[in-house]
Amino acid sequence: MDSFASNGEYAKQLGVTFPLLSDWKRQTTKEYGLYNEESGYGVRASFVIDKEGKIQHVEVGKTAIDPTGAYQVCDFLQKKKAEAPKQ
Amino acid sequence: MKRLLFALAICTTLAIAAFGQATPKPPTTHLKVGDTAPDFTLTDTAGKPVKLSDYRGKKSVVLAFYVLAFTGG
Repeated sequence: MDSFASNGEYAKQLGVTFPLLSDWKRQTTKEYGLYNEESGYGVRASFVIDKEGKIQHVEVGKTAIDPTGAYQVCDFLQKKKAEAPKQ
Repeated sequence: MKRLLFALAICTTLAIAAFGQATPKPPTTHLKVGDTAPDFTLTDTAGKPVKLSDYRGKKSVVLAFYVLAFTGG
């Protein structure tokens, strides 16, 4: 929800290497059902989305700060990819 | 006695209303495993648009909504 410029400054400071995106208008937060009208902020959440665009993992709330669940699903998807017959 | 009961009823109603306001239900997503993730286009740190569907068929995506990320909260 910060501006992209503000995110850019933080990304530089922290050495972030993944895309850090700004939901300035809160539109995506709303579409994912995470916007808190009371506070004007969203809630923390993590999703793993596979190559077909399907959601494979959802975690909402304070526990979403822990990447273990998302990591396990990524690991599973990686193994699935390795086992898939090559076309 | 009736007055006392009436006052008690009002106090209880106010207490319920106050409690209800003090503990609003936090939002939770309607999305679940197996659903198609809603597409979005958001801006990266360079000001360039990033579209979720651009990863379709190429890579899996970990999408983290990390609200108040740099506040220590």
